[in-house]
Parts: sequence; structure tokens; C-alpha cells
Amino acid sequence: MKRKLRRLSAVLLAASMVMTGCGATESSGKATTTTIAKNETAKSETIKSDEKITIEYWHCNAEAQGGAAVEELVSKFNEENDHIEVIAKYNPDMYAGLMKNLQAEVAVGNTPAVVQIGWSYLEYFSNNFSYLTPQDAIAKYDAENSTYLTDNFLPNILNLAVNTAGEQVGIPYSLSSPVLYYNVDLFREAGLSEEGPQTWEQVYEYSKIINEKTGKYGCYIEDDNWGAQALLESNGAQFIATDEAGNMYTDIASEGGIEAMQMWADMIAEGLIPHVTWDEGCQAFNAGEVAMLYTTIARRASVQSTAQFEAAAVNSPVWEGKERVIPAGGCMLAITAQEEEEQAAAWEFMKYLYSIEGMATWTIGTGYVPPRKDVADSPEGLKSFLEENEMMKAATTQMDGVVSWASFPGDAGLEIDQILSDTQDQILGGSITAKDGLAAAQDKINALLGN
Amino acid sequence: MKKRKAKEHLLAGVFILPALIAFCIFMFWPLIRTIYLSFFDWNMIKPVKEFVGLQNYIDLFKDEVTYKILGNTVIYIAILLVLNFVAPYVVSFLLTFIIKKGKSFYKTAFFLPSVISLVVGSVLYVWILNPISGPVAIILKNFGMQLPTWSKTDGLVIVILSLITSWKVFGYNFIIVLGGVMGVSQEVIEAAKIDNISDFKIFTQIVLPMSSATGVYVLIMTIIQGLQYVYTPITVVTQGGPNNASSNLIYQSYHEAFTLYQTGDASALSVITMALFIVLLLLEFKFVEKGVYYEN
Repeated sequence: MKRKLRRLSAVLLAASMVMTGCGATESSGKATTTTIAKNETAKSETIKSDEKITIEYWHCNAEAQGGAAVEELVSKFNEENDHIEVIAKYNPDMYAGLMKNLQAEVAVGNTPAVVQIGWSYLEYFSNNFSYLTPQDAIAKYDAENSTYLTDNFLPNILNLAVNTAGEQVGIPYSLSSPVLYYNVDLFREAGLSEEGPQTWEQVYEYSKIINEKTGKYGCYIEDDNWGAQALLESNGAQFIATDEAGNMYTDIASEGGIEAMQMWADMIAEGLIPHVTWDEGCQAFNAGEVAMLYTTIARRASVQSTAQFEAAAVNSPVWEGKERVIPAGGCMLAITAQEEEEQAAAWEFMKYLYSIEGMATWTIGTGYVPPRKDVADSPEGLKSFLEENEMMKAATTQMDGVVSWASFPGDAGLEIDQILSDTQDQILGGSITAKDGLAAAQDKINALLGN
Repeated sequence: MKKRKAKEHLLAGVFILPALIAFCIFMFWPLIRTIYLSFFDWNMIKPVKEFVGLQNYIDLFKDEVTYKILGNTVIYIAILLVLNFVAPYVVSFLLTFIIKKGKSFYKTAFFLPSVISLVVGSVLYVWILNPISGPVAIILKNFGMQLPTWSKTDGLVIVILSLITSWKVFGYNFIIVLGGVMGVSQEVIEAAKIDNISDFKIFTQIVLPMSSATGVYVLIMTIIQGLQYVYTPITVVTQGGPNNASSNLIYQSYHEAFTLYQTGDASALSVITMALFIVLLLLEFKFVEKGVYYEN
């Protein structure tokens, strides 16, 4: 019995020594070497089996939000080529979630090959991570196609993935823009034009009529920085502006910005539109309790499948007599692979994703607008799909108004996003006027930008 | 004799070791690391951590958001104590000594929700309590009432998020408290009843003191675990909004670290949070622990 105990304790002790040993290596910063060693063994194994190179593609598309399309694209690519194996890895919690995971993975010296980077992380990503620009990838691994980017993409679209330092960080992949969905049945009941509103002034007016005639709310406007940017910039404000000397500043508290923000707050104060979270707002629209919904075109499939009424969509409204300015939502693809072989494989995979068929699969599966030329009109592309899907037109016909989603440069960039969303909460909650709130936020932001 | 004792000590050490190692790796090391990081300006990626001394702490104390969040945390604690400590106690007492029929049904019914994930629960509640189109709003509408837009209302948002959390915590706490209350000897209660002592007095002067060992445990768990559990509905429903009105110390540390990537600020806030909890625990040892009744 005693001997048994002794043996047992020896085993336990040995086991615990191993455990502490592991803990010590992990925590003393040697993790990098461990992972490299792991990569090497993985590689030598793959070389043995058909010499395939394995790369990881990180995306944010849950099953119902394009995940199926990711699977379809990846498995097709894997079947069609004999030297690359792509593993798609889903990251919950959208681009913020992916950024968190990437941060953690890079901290231990590991990187995926291709990643989706949300627009608002353009600056943060390019300032903090090491990546291969698409033009460099072409120069290194695909030299005969040196004009690939300008041949296939519109300049204002390519520009979305250019950071403030002027570098093309990646290639736009998922493109969305805000549109106005509306409940045609409720419009009819209230005696409004079934064509939907064209201007924000009309949205206000229609909301009053709907509220009076049907007792329902007029409109839900996506209440984050994205929705605010569309509303304010269309009325002349600028989230990020540059002066003659090239210094960046924000101009949200301009006359137009204040006017737009105040109208939004007034609509809430008058009880015409609800002040709720995005989830709640979308639910309420789908349940027929809110007549209009101002949010991303990526929400189209969900509106079509859940709404129990006739739903339609129009272009993002403009302010009377002004141009439409709307921020792009979605993401770009960037190459984070560090080793040459992986970089070459990553570029090959990306080219497949940007092919006309690849883009068509992606658009149908997600509801994003294709960033590439020729997809909309090509018979292998989306011609028939767009003819059947009236709602998509609301987004595809407003591409000329698309600008970058404000991504503030520098270390304080994410902090500025937070200031904007806190300010918006205060104004829409009615605790401060648009004028005071935006002016205070503008001062804080300009101070952080170093002005 | 001495030899045997030494052996026993060794054996005890061996048995403690696995737990101790796990603690060191997952609790003490991160703790030390957090304190260390709170003196640096870093974003988890930059190769150089810039040493800033106490600046992160000074910034925190200068920032009015910190005080707002402290206030929120206190409100959260107060509400959670009522929902997850006082309520389970009262219910346990009623179930053990007052209610005679259907006891096992109530036990199961109260405990059942706590097996469902809090994320699922939060998503469900967003739908149930949707102020415009949710079932509760529709029922209220029939009575001519309106559900306030709680997700965007200061104060109310904390109450609702606490309610969502209670869904998970109540059942678990209830089972533990019930165990404690059932441990109170039936004879004492019978005797008191014969003497015509009111139920209220039986509860406050007999049951509470005699089950206080369990009670203190649940009290501490309600505060500490409650704040951690609230984190989930905050993340799912409001992300700390509107304007930080629903954030608490734990969510805010996470937010600073993994949304804003301000590792230094986040660590400093964590350290302050820990200090506050230590103070709370000391107070508890000093004032509560003394009066606790341990059966053995």
C-alpha cells in the first residue's frame, strides 16, 4: 500500500514537473520558436503528402451570413488546384472579433495567410501588423499581370483600401452601403407614395404621417458611427478632413452636421422614430412595427426572409439639393502570410476569390455589392440575379457616392470611434443638444489628432 | 513519529501540487503580469512597451467615465444582491418551512433556467423585451401601456441586464441556499412555532443565523460572480452603452483591452478592481465572518 502511494506520488510529481516546464516556456516569451517549430513539422508533413501547402483564410461570416458561400468557394478552390490547401477559419463577433484573434495570434508569432479586415480597422491594421500589399504580391508572384488592379477595379473602390499613408493595404472584397428599406403595406395604409422617400426631409415628413395614420414608428436609423457618417456627411460634415498642410482634423460640428444630427434627435424626442439598439430596431421593422429601416444592404436576405409584408428598398436618402455621401461597409482582403511560399499561395487564392464566378458566388451568398468591374453585367456573373433582385439595385445604383468608412489614424484612432459613439448616445438620448455635443466631441477628437 | 509526520506533510504537498500549479499558471502569473502591464503604454503588438509609471492610474482617476462606471458597478451589486441573494433566501425559507405541496416542482422550475447558456438567454431576452415588437411590449400595449426603451435609458438598462443575469444565477444560488436552510433543524422551528413566534421572526432570528455559513458564501459569490456574469448580457445587448451607462468595472477592463487595445489602461483598471474587491473581502472578514455559525 505504502509503496503504491509512493509510486503514485512520484508519478504525480513527474507529471506536475512537466506541467510547470510547459508553463515556464510558454510564459518566458519562447512561444515564437515553438510555433515556428510547429509550422516546420506541419510543412514537412504536408510535403510528404502530395507536397501541398496549407494556408489559412480568416473570415467573419457565420453560417447564415455568407459562411456557406465561404465554404463553397474554399472547397471549390481546393478541388480545382493540386498544390494549395486552404483552411477557412470563422471568427465570431465580426471584424472586431477577427482583429482580436489576429492580435492574439500574432502575439504568439503565428499568422494566417489571408484575412478580412473591416474598413474601420484599416489604419489600425496597417499601423500595427506586417502585411504584403497586393501590388507587391503581383510584382513578386504574378509579374505578367502588373495592371491587374487597375484593369479590374474602379479607382474610387480601390481607394477604400488605401490608408492615410497612401498605401494600398488590401483589395476591397465585401462592399456594402446603407439603403432605406420600407414597408410598402404600411405606406399604402398611410396613403404615401409607394416609391419610397428620396430625401431625409421626406423621411421626417413621412414618419409624421405614418405615426398619425397608423400609430407605428416611422423609421429606424442604424445608430452607430456608420449610420451617423452617412447622415452627417451627406449634409456637408466631414468625419476626416485634411487641411492644406496635410494635417488631419474632424469637421463633424459644421452647420450641416449639427442640422442632420439635431433632426435625428428631434425625431426621437417627438416619438416618431424609436431609440433602440440595432438588433431591436431590425426586429421591430421585420415585425411590421416600424415603417422604414435605414441600414446596410447586407441585411437584405434577412428582411426578405422574415418580413411578413411587402418590403422594398430605395437608395440612401439625400438632403435636399445635396449630393449623396455614404460610407462603405464590409471589408478588404489583406495578405498577412510571412513566408514566400505561403504568400504566393495566398495571392493565387485571392485571385480566385476575385474572379467573376468567385465574386458572383460571394454576392449571391452574402448580399454584398461586388467591388469588381464586369461582374454585374456578365452572364457568368450576376446578370440574372440582379434582374430578379430588385432590392439589390438600391445598393448597386449608388456606388458613385461611396466613400471610406472613417478610420482615424494613429494610436488614438479606436478611442476616437468611442468618443463618437458616446456623443451620439448623449445627443440621441436627449441629454445634450447636437450643437453642444458635436462641438465638444470635435474639440476632443482634434486634440487627439494632434491639432 | 516525526518521520511519519514529515511524510504526511510531503504527501499533503503532493496532493496540493496539481491545484497549486494550475493556480499559478492561470491565476497568479496573469495577476503579476497584469500589475506589471499597468505601468506601460502598450497595445499587445508593438515590439516596445513604453514605461509610463503611474500615468495609467492618474489618467483613470482623472477620467469621469471611471466614476460613472464605479457608480454603475455599485448599482449592479445592489440589484444583484436583492435578486440573487435576498430573493433565493426568502424563496428557500418559504419552500422549506411554509409551502407544503409541490416542493420538487418548484425546485426544478427555479433551477432549470441556470442550465441554459447566458448568451442564448441574452439573445432570447432581447427578443422578449424588445420595447417595440416583443411579446411583453405587445401585452402591455393591450393594457394601454408602453414598454420603455430600456436598452437606451440610463439606470433602467442596468436593471434589465441584471434581470437577464439573474435568470442564470438565481437557480444556482437558490439550490445552495436551500441546502443551507434545509440544514436548520426542524425541531427548533417546530418549537418556535409552538411558542407562536411569527414566521418573519423565525426567518430573521433562527433560520438566517443558523444557515449563515452558506449565506456568507452565497453573498460573496453573488457579488463577485454576479459582476462577471453580467459581462455576457452587456456584450450581447448593449456593449456598455448608451454612453457607458451599462458598463461595469469588469466589462470596462475588457473593453479597454480588447476593443481599444489600451493594455495599460485596462490593466490599471483591473488592478483597481482587484483592490476594491480586497477591501470588500476584508470588510466581510471583519464584520460578517465573526457572526457566522459553523455547525461543526
